[in-house]
Amino acid sequence: MVETVTSQPSARAPSTARPPGRRAGRPARAMALIRRHRLAPYLLLLPSVAAIGLVLLWPVVQVALYSFQNYGLPQTDGAAPTQWVGLSNFTATFSDPEFWLALRITTAFAAATVTLTLLTGTLIGLLLNQLGRVMAAVVSTAALLAWATPPVSASVLFYWLFNPDGGLVDWSLARMPHWLVGSTDWAGFNWTTSGALPAYTVATLLVVWQAFPFVAVAVLAGLKTVPGELLEAARVDGANAWRGFWKITYPLLKPIFLVLLLFSVIWDFNVFTQTYLLTGDLGNRDEYNLSLYLYDKAFTFPPSYGLGGALALILTIILLIVTVGYVRASVRQGALA
Amino acid sequence: MKLTRSAAAFGAAAILAGAAAGCGSGSGSSSGGSAAVPSKLVVWRMGASVPSQVTWMNGVVAEFHKKFPQYKNTKVTVDWIPWTNRVTDWTNALSSGKGGPDITELGNTDTPGIAAQGGLADVTTDVKAWSYGSGIIAGNLANDTVNGQNYAVPWFGGVRGVWYRKDEFAKAGITSAPTTWAELISDAKLLQKKFPGTYGLGAPSDYTNAIVSFIWGAGGQVATESGGKWTAKLTTPQAEAGIKFYADLYLTQHLSPSKYVGETELGAPGATSGGSNEDFALGKLDMYIDGPWAESELTAVSKKYEADWASFPIPSESGPNPAPAFSGGSDLGVWAKSKYKQADWDLISVMDSPSNATTFANSQGFFPEFTAQLKGGAYAGNPVMAGFAKAAAYTQISPLNSKNWATADATDAIIPTMMKALMQGANFSATVAKANTQLQNVLNTGNENG
Repeated sequence: MVETVTSQPSARAPSTARPPGRRAGRPARAMALIRRHRLAPYLLLLPSVAAIGLVLLWPVVQVALYSFQNYGLPQTDGAAPTQWVGLSNFTATFSDPEFWLALRITTAFAAATVTLTLLTGTLIGLLLNQLGRVMAAVVSTAALLAWATPPVSASVLFYWLFNPDGGLVDWSLARMPHWLVGSTDWAGFNWTTSGALPAYTVATLLVVWQAFPFVAVAVLAGLKTVPGELLEAARVDGANAWRGFWKITYPLLKPIFLVLLLFSVIWDFNVFTQTYLLTGDLGNRDEYNLSLYLYDKAFTFPPSYGLGGALALILTIILLIVTVGYVRASVRQGALA
Repeated sequence: MKLTRSAAAFGAAAILAGAAAGCGSGSGSSSGGSAAVPSKLVVWRMGASVPSQVTWMNGVVAEFHKKFPQYKNTKVTVDWIPWTNRVTDWTNALSSGKGGPDITELGNTDTPGIAAQGGLADVTTDVKAWSYGSGIIAGNLANDTVNGQNYAVPWFGGVRGVWYRKDEFAKAGITSAPTTWAELISDAKLLQKKFPGTYGLGAPSDYTNAIVSFIWGAGGQVATESGGKWTAKLTTPQAEAGIKFYADLYLTQHLSPSKYVGETELGAPGATSGGSNEDFALGKLDMYIDGPWAESELTAVSKKYEADWASFPIPSESGPNPAPAFSGGSDLGVWAKSKYKQADWDLISVMDSPSNATTFANSQGFFPEFTAQLKGGAYAGNPVMAGFAKAAAYTQISPLNSKNWATADATDAIIPTMMKALMQGANFSATVAKANTQLQNVLNTGNENG
């Protein structure tokens, strides 16, 4: 836009706004209309809203519609009629003990991974801030490599590390004294299929390993903005590193931590690739998290897109609650600042 | 990458919406040119391509062109579908109406379910008119029948038995194969003791097709049907005896390693290595349960003990006859959305002619589906096939051929989940009772919660 709103009194009527001598054409009238109603920002937003509406909002609406239908394989090509089934997809989900098991596993897994990711990431971020240039480059390169490893490659890597047939972890544990690692037969211990606890121990390590570099980099970026004199003053006043962190660094970086917390919760709630590969496709039902459970219901034979839609909606609502909590927290923080 | 993960939910949503797009596009009408001459026929085969199978298929196509001159310019393309992907691929082809085959191989337990979902064309009249139709083992043809209509023809069959090594048996002083559970346990214990570092008998928890033999071998049933209604029978004393025996192979007898808990006979579900088959080939497992078709997998791992491999049927609880084996195998069906159903059937009639089917089955370690070919002791001289041929005389398939069995076993994994829980020490009667309820629900309604 060449003409900016501030260059002309915007409340003026279009006829008077028209500069004398200029031809009164349709484009000019349209421009005036836009200016009078302050439409420019909305017009600028329109392309992206249209794109998002097409690829995001419409599918969400579609999924929501499915969740109240019996939509399955015969319905996709009209072999059987699509029927509205009310809330039965939701009642079927809530009455399924496997759903509650998957929800418990997902929640515990997210709690463990979010905590460990934020803790490790923050510590590494603090470390990077302290290190000299060479060591910082070494540490950040190592961390970013973990971050850059594709989830499938990383899962295969961890699958082999924890494999009962000569995996490095089993091999090492079997060579350690019993008083240290217990009397389990570690040489043939199957981490990934013998129950949710060992499987998700591996998954937690894997996800934290891949996720902490992002936290570390974000925390480091934040640390660079903390004025050095504040920490220096604290030190002069006799604060140790622990007190300095909680009294100076943490309050200043709180917005960053809030964002990281929210992102981590959303990501770790939705982990699919790693758990799918580690627990053996969909073969171990006692090791499903909500993503695996959803995939199983929606896409395995016979597929039920209705149940899948209901589950997608449930998962979205759970994560929306988390997001709303975040928005409230950040608004409150903004009001205090 | 992190963003990718956060987008996963949206991705799933997009996929769900994509399914709707398939709705409008419709599919090729099948009623029109069924007698038309196709330029190409697509055959879906299961598994991985093997040179001997390619040679065999080339011979079949040559015969097809010769016998049906109208198709002399028709190309036949074989697509190999991994077993673990088959249901997904059928499902995708069905829901999108595109990319499907003209002819597909099916596991014989898949046929009723896929037919019920509208994937297969009705071939009843073709089978009736077929000169070889009456020679097919009747029970196996019945398996491909839904509501009196025929949706596929049996192609080859196979049964599971126990693989063992003649050299190990000889060294341990075992002179004849066990025919009762007590003998099976004592032989396995003897082998495990005699060969330190090995396990006696592999018992993977995710192995329904073998577990049912133990249920049947004690005189039990998985489920029975009466008047169109299924009753699950896992909680009968006989079935419970079989379930307990199998779980105890690991739990109390310690004849099977802990790593098989949660695994199939081929390793972790979906994986193709690290399973009991591999351990047997490597000499780390003394006996393991599988079909004769495993031989090509075993030799791919190691040929060191190949000369000593042999088989015996899975024993029943108290002998002398073996436990009924699950009668597995593959069928050939005409895809419902194929435009060339007559040509499809004509090709099937060549692939499944007694001579072609027998050549094929023999080359792959299977049995043909024609009664005449199984008689006459053709398999007695082969140590690997001899045990399986014995087992093939005592088979059962129900309820593994029921319409909802694929849901009960492949999707809901009711028996594998139950067996895994038992092997992890869950309360026996409560766990079996829960599986029993779920099984009855799925068999009757398609849904484990009723």
